[in-house]
Amino acid sequence: MDAAQLDTIVERYPGATGRVLGVLEQVQRRAGYLPRDALEYLARKLAMPLSELYSIATFYSFFTLEALGEHVVTVCMGTACHVNGAPRIVERLERLLDVGAGETTGDGKFQLTTADHAFSLTSARCFGACSMAPVLRIDNRIFGYVTPDKIPAILRQFDWEGNHHRNY
Amino acid sequence: MIRVVINGKACTAEKGESLLSVARRKGIDIPAFCYEETLAPYGACRMCLVEVVKGAQEGITTACTLAAAEGLEVLTQTSEIVSLRRALIELYLAQAPRSEAIRALAQRYGIQKTRFARKVRPDDPLQNRCILCGLCVRICHDVMGAGAINYIGRGHFTEINTPFYEESAVCMGCGACARVCPTQAIAFEDIVQTRTMKSWSGTRVPLHACSKCGRHFAPAPFVNYARQKLAPDLQQTPLRLCPDCRSREIARKAVLLSTGAAVAD
Ligand code: SF4
Ligand code: FES
Ligand code: FES
Repeated sequence: MDAAQLDTIVERYPGATGRVLGVLEQVQRRAGYLPRDALEYLARKLAMPLSELYSIATFYSFFTLEALGEHVVTVCMGTACHVNGAPRIVERLERLLDVGAGETTGDGKFQLTTADHAFSLTSARCFGACSMAPVLRIDNRIFGYVTPDKIPAILRQFDWEGNHHRNY
Repeated sequence: MIRVVINGKACTAEKGESLLSVARRKGIDIPAFCYEETLAPYGACRMCLVEVVKGAQEGITTACTLAAAEGLEVLTQTSEIVSLRRALIELYLAQAPRSEAIRALAQRYGIQKTRFARKVRPDDPLQNRCILCGLCVRICHDVMGAGAINYIGRGHFTEINTPFYEESAVCMGCGACARVCPTQAIAFEDIVQTRTMKSWSGTRVPLHACSKCGRHFAPAPFVNYARQKLAPDLQQTPLRLCPDCRSREIARKAVLLSTGAAVAD
């Protein structure tokens, strides 16, 4: 995003209240993430410390600091989903999408994007659909009662072509 | 001046003054982590809980945010407060297991260990001592005007550091953060002419040299900042001497003056 685009976004929020979140939301929606140079530019433009913008950007799960893939696969890690096998779903997704096996456990928060930028794998806490646990969301669609074996069929609906070089 | 009663003892106070500061003046011990005189009371650490037995709002509240008012009466050591404090201490032992300050407090309350999962990270820049009270963030931003650090992340994974975990371009190396930190979590180190803020992603700040003895004694950006805060006619006087040389210089001038000799600058 260039300076002119960011300026236009900022102009839409003349008042001080809700401004920062509004601006960041617009940037996230348009760029698909919060690019670092955009944050640096906005810190100067809005005359606030970069540390504060970074703090906001890392607080809300809606914001991401890295570009997301075309489709975003979000696995619910809420309590109900967790006890109903969400970790196994994550494991299978990691293998199918061929992203950072094992990296998803560390700090409970992860965002992994496939090399071709087709998919990003991430987690969230409780979609409020616990009765269908475990739950998975791809873009804006929710899938309930997911089992690891159902995942390939789900992914294919999003133009996933499979991992031909391996057998699952 | 008004009168408040703490643990049955009458104390005089400024109207609106923080009850915690009134108590401290009287030598009444209330544990507190996030209270700092230069900042507005914040009520973040919850350590300073007291019970209001007579006042506008009766019940348990934080002493730091409680404004002194005529006739206010509080108790600081009821069994309920002590048990709440003990629970908090256990939580803090889990959050900051390497903090001496927390351990000392735990000891005073007879707590040997915590029931909660201890957070220990071998590479924690804050030495597994940070309780997330936010004082460093606030002093850096609200008082020093730098805003080099802030909270990062959320919930259990929240931590304090510089944006992108990189050296800060705005940190002046003043060390105010380390001074206010209640748990001595923040580390920095001066080696010859550089100060390294070890806790803040290794931010390096050059040190200013004394024009007399050559010792590097204060962070250069901070010296500049201090100069800007001086009255315009004082700004010209370079802050060139280290504290030792400055006091020697003042003493020398005083001696010369008293002997009536002319003082060469
Ligand atoms: S580093 Fe110290 S001052 Fe800063 S939040 Fe942690 S405990 Fe508080
Ligand atoms: S825990 Fe997954 S939807 Fe509630
Ligand atoms: S000192 Fe009162 S809540 Fe921290």
